[in-house]
Amino acid sequence: MDTFLYLTRRVLQSLVVILIVTVVVFCLLHALPGGPARGILGPQATAQQIAQFNHEQGLDRSLPVQYLYYLRTLLHGDLGTSYTLNEAVSRLIEQRLPKTLVLTVLSALVGLALAVPLGMWQAVRRNRPVDYVITTLSFVAYSTPVYFLGLVLVLVFTQLLPWFPSQAPQGDTLGQVLAQPNALVLPVVAGAASMVAVFSRYMRAATLENLSEDYVRTVRAGGSGPRAILWRHVFRNSLTPVVAMLGYYVPVLFGGALVVEQLFNYPGMGLLFWSAAQSSDYPVLLGCVLVISVATVVGTLLADVVQRIIDPRVKAGRA
Amino acid sequence: MSAVLPVTPPVEAAAGYRHSVRRFARNRLAVAGLVVVILFLLFSFLGPLLYSTDQTHTNLTQVNLAPGGAHLLGTDAVGHDELGRLMYGGRVSLLVGLAAGILATVIGTLWGAIAGYAGGWIDAVMMRVVDAGIAIPALFILLVVSAITTPDTVGLILILGLVSWLVPSRLVRAETLTLKNRDYVLTLRAVGGTHGRAITRHILPNSVSTIVVAATFQVADAILLVAYVSYLGLGVQPPSTDWGGMLSAGLTAAYSGRWWLIVPPGLAIILVVCAFNAIGDGLRDTFDVRGRG
Amino acid sequence: MSILEIENLGVTFSTETGDVPAVRDVSLRVRPGETLALVGESGSGKSTVALAAMGLLPGSARATGRVRVGGTDVIGAAEADLAGLRGRTASMVFQEPATALDPLTRIGAQIAEVIRNHRPVPVKDAAREAVELLRRVGIPEPERRAFAYPFQLSGGQRQRVVIAMAIANAPSLLIADEPTTALDVTVQAEILDLLRGLAADSGTGVLLVTHNMGVVADFADRVAVMLQGEVVETGPVEEVLLRPTDDYTRRLLEAVPRLSLADPPSGARDRPVEEPVVDLREVSVRFGRGRRAVRALDGVSLTVRPGETVGLVGESGSGKSTAARVALGLVAPSAGSVSLFGADLGRAGGRARRALLSGVGVVLQDPVASLDARMSVGECVAEPLRVHRRGMSSAERRARVADVLELVRLPRDLAHRGPRELSGGQRQRVSLARALVLRPRLLVADEPTSALDVSVQRSVLEVIRELQDELGFACLFVSHDLAVVQQFAQHVVVLRAGRIEEEGSTATTLLHPRTDYTRRLIAAVPVPDPVLQRRRRDERRAAMGVKA
Repeated sequence: MDTFLYLTRRVLQSLVVILIVTVVVFCLLHALPGGPARGILGPQATAQQIAQFNHEQGLDRSLPVQYLYYLRTLLHGDLGTSYTLNEAVSRLIEQRLPKTLVLTVLSALVGLALAVPLGMWQAVRRNRPVDYVITTLSFVAYSTPVYFLGLVLVLVFTQLLPWFPSQAPQGDTLGQVLAQPNALVLPVVAGAASMVAVFSRYMRAATLENLSEDYVRTVRAGGSGPRAILWRHVFRNSLTPVVAMLGYYVPVLFGGALVVEQLFNYPGMGLLFWSAAQSSDYPVLLGCVLVISVATVVGTLLADVVQRIIDPRVKAGRA
Repeated sequence: MSAVLPVTPPVEAAAGYRHSVRRFARNRLAVAGLVVVILFLLFSFLGPLLYSTDQTHTNLTQVNLAPGGAHLLGTDAVGHDELGRLMYGGRVSLLVGLAAGILATVIGTLWGAIAGYAGGWIDAVMMRVVDAGIAIPALFILLVVSAITTPDTVGLILILGLVSWLVPSRLVRAETLTLKNRDYVLTLRAVGGTHGRAITRHILPNSVSTIVVAATFQVADAILLVAYVSYLGLGVQPPSTDWGGMLSAGLTAAYSGRWWLIVPPGLAIILVVCAFNAIGDGLRDTFDVRGRG
Repeated sequence: MSILEIENLGVTFSTETGDVPAVRDVSLRVRPGETLALVGESGSGKSTVALAAMGLLPGSARATGRVRVGGTDVIGAAEADLAGLRGRTASMVFQEPATALDPLTRIGAQIAEVIRNHRPVPVKDAAREAVELLRRVGIPEPERRAFAYPFQLSGGQRQRVVIAMAIANAPSLLIADEPTTALDVTVQAEILDLLRGLAADSGTGVLLVTHNMGVVADFADRVAVMLQGEVVETGPVEEVLLRPTDDYTRRLLEAVPRLSLADPPSGARDRPVEEPVVDLREVSVRFGRGRRAVRALDGVSLTVRPGETVGLVGESGSGKSTAARVALGLVAPSAGSVSLFGADLGRAGGRARRALLSGVGVVLQDPVASLDARMSVGECVAEPLRVHRRGMSSAERRARVADVLELVRLPRDLAHRGPRELSGGQRQRVSLARALVLRPRLLVADEPTSALDVSVQRSVLEVIRELQDELGFACLFVSHDLAVVQQFAQHVVVLRAGRIEEEGSTATTLLHPRTDYTRRLIAAVPVPDPVLQRRRRDERRAAMGVKA
């Protein structure tokens, strides 16, 4: 299948997925009796106040109408206005999203850079002490709630050993954030930990599978040594399925960012979402979920495209 | 035609099962995981019979005591015995985790099996729904839910089950896709066997190992999610608690040096989640099925 | 001096159920310029000997005795020394061209790697040499093809690339492990010609591992026959194939289906005149849509009449399995019609369709995938009864299953065992029992014996034929093996790329083919008689030379 056709199909599929996401989130937000009005106006609000609020916000129409109305405004790039911050949701997200992306992309890069060699090392030393130790460590890293890990990191690296600040970089612009790399270390480590755990397991499994493939025997029969086999052949072949898994990991990365941002007081979208949840700021919640989901879908799409670039078979639509 | 490995001698009928047990038993991490899970179940459900504590009333004369003496693991900010609390919290964590994990597997199995077997546009639509579900990070949904309501235990199980059935549905769909083209299914279809028979007699029984492995990992993930739930403000209400609730309640105490409020629940969560992951790993190797790496 | 000397080689695999000896006390020699064929059935240990010679045994194997390649001891040698040997002194060609090449590396680079492993050649020169090698092994447009990935080549071309890698450093020993088993018969003939030419040009000694006696007759100078890990007979190819002394060798050769080349004593019989049990009319099948659609069948018409056997032959991708699946109602034709026992299968729905299908039995190729390992043999065989004879009591059903197991020459009490406990031949008989349990009027057999050893294949085919005489069912028999079809079918249909190339009575069609394609197909089948095969080969090449 040629690349253009493939891309068109994948983009259309992604659009369908995003549409379903908007429906899911919309239903979720309208699940409660009393509606968003009570959440904003508080339990003391009178019925009249609620009715007026609902009318002003367009919340007194039928659900499908509200949904269509919402879709139409979405197409204009309008995500509504925050109940509590009195600012356009799109504006808020515009300010916060780049910071979250910096955090997640850094975590992903650090995570992969550690996980890939670790997984290959384990595969080569299968069932030896190194393998067991790394396996156990990755189980522990996977099983530790991020907020607990963050707390331990803060206690150890800011109080016991005062190497890093306990607050993530503050500031409104990306430049200000990146100007304090020291302060980014702990949040990135907390965000990358479970990724190292998961992807070292993937890489270990993929490497083991490739080491037992027929082509390895052919390469050996041609007189290539173990190092050439591993790096020239097995490495690339193992990386392809791992890259494919990357797409599915994007939502987990964003979930991690939600906790990490709250924990280190990092002014990204996670923190915005967190405070919106505390104040039942539904337009912000809806906007954030939507944008995060679109980011996830785009991330998955990117992972697919990268996989097509590194694996010629996928390009031909055979794998 | 020419096998590199010699033909293995025929195995006894029951040996298939016994063989699996032996293979599993050789995976030391998996066996350790099983032991840990059993110990924690005994600890949480039978422990209170041996070590009885009052977990319903606050006792303001005995707050924030360090471990030792009458309270082996000290007391918390309202005077509950920490060791006893660990047992009561374990009940909720394990129960909710197991139930939610199994619920997610059941939903995912049904969804995936139907999509995979039906194929065509039904499959396409069902899988787009799964994609959409995966695209919304679970923690975000849970936080939205926490802004709306505070569920009881059953509600919590339902919510956790509903946000985590997506991965097993993909696994079971993939399994169904291969199984429905197996020669024995084709042979059945060729003599006029029904779809229902193909699914109930061949496809589901042959997916059991995949489903069991998926369920084990699912339980591990659910216990971890339960630990996040209190942190996100969805947890069970005091005086009841779970390990995640104890952990998030103890977060601030940790800065003032009261380590005994966070280390025991933290370790309990890590140990149990590790244990289920190790069991899942062992089962996957035993059954030789694909699952997550 | 011999280029390969094997003395008292023993190989033991350690498995979960204990140590399993695979090779015992094997001694062999290959001299420069000579081809030694190592033959045997599956599990005989012949591939293990080949891997031991390359030092490529898996980690679970333990080798004893002595293996010398070009004067260097292989057993116990350091991995680095072995790497120096492999690809230079000794090279290997493997069975499965589909998986033998690194899927993500361009083929030119894979060949160049073997060159640079042993000679300090600059990258550019190695690449040039790789193109030259591709030309030598007969890859068209080698300059361009050097940049292709393995998936862009056909199976035969991939095997040529593996051969190019093997001869890159002009080795003195070439080990070929079933090099043509996964290939179509015409491609097999080309690859054998190529290997023979290369070996003759360079005086390379060849160790050829194969189960195919025709290939042995075509290629080998000497033969060693293996049985259960031991060599039972060694000698020159004419001696072993024409005048075998060992009992096992004799039985093995007898079991090999031979393409008969002389007219049969009696003339061709007429086909039965009764109404056909299955009738495909102008059937076309397309997979996929739009530009990527593949035409699997294109206007195919064929009939099977009561009591007769129709052989459906063709190479891979010819559509023969698809045609069988259309007859079974598993694949719906995109054009044309199928009638079963006189009723239109496409129009019949629900109960009528199931009633029609109850008259058909199926045996498919793969002995492992054909039986659900979670059921007992009895449950597998009883499944059609559960579908169609709902009223049957379980006692009746058990009795019926035991009867039909006996019918296919299996013990009655096999019903309680699991499929995993059975050998491949036993499994295929269980499949046959399941196919016959409803006493069908038509048996559709899709390569029912292709995965079996020749001796087992023979006994399964015999059972089918005897039961056919006894029960009188018609048979649609799909096979790639012309010799088997010749023995088994009265009528033959030759498929090529989804179309019928020619059809007719087996006797006339396979002896006096009307089309070039069928002629080439038959000429490419190697016969297990070295003298005859040499003559056939010369004839085939002469015919091709004239055409070219």
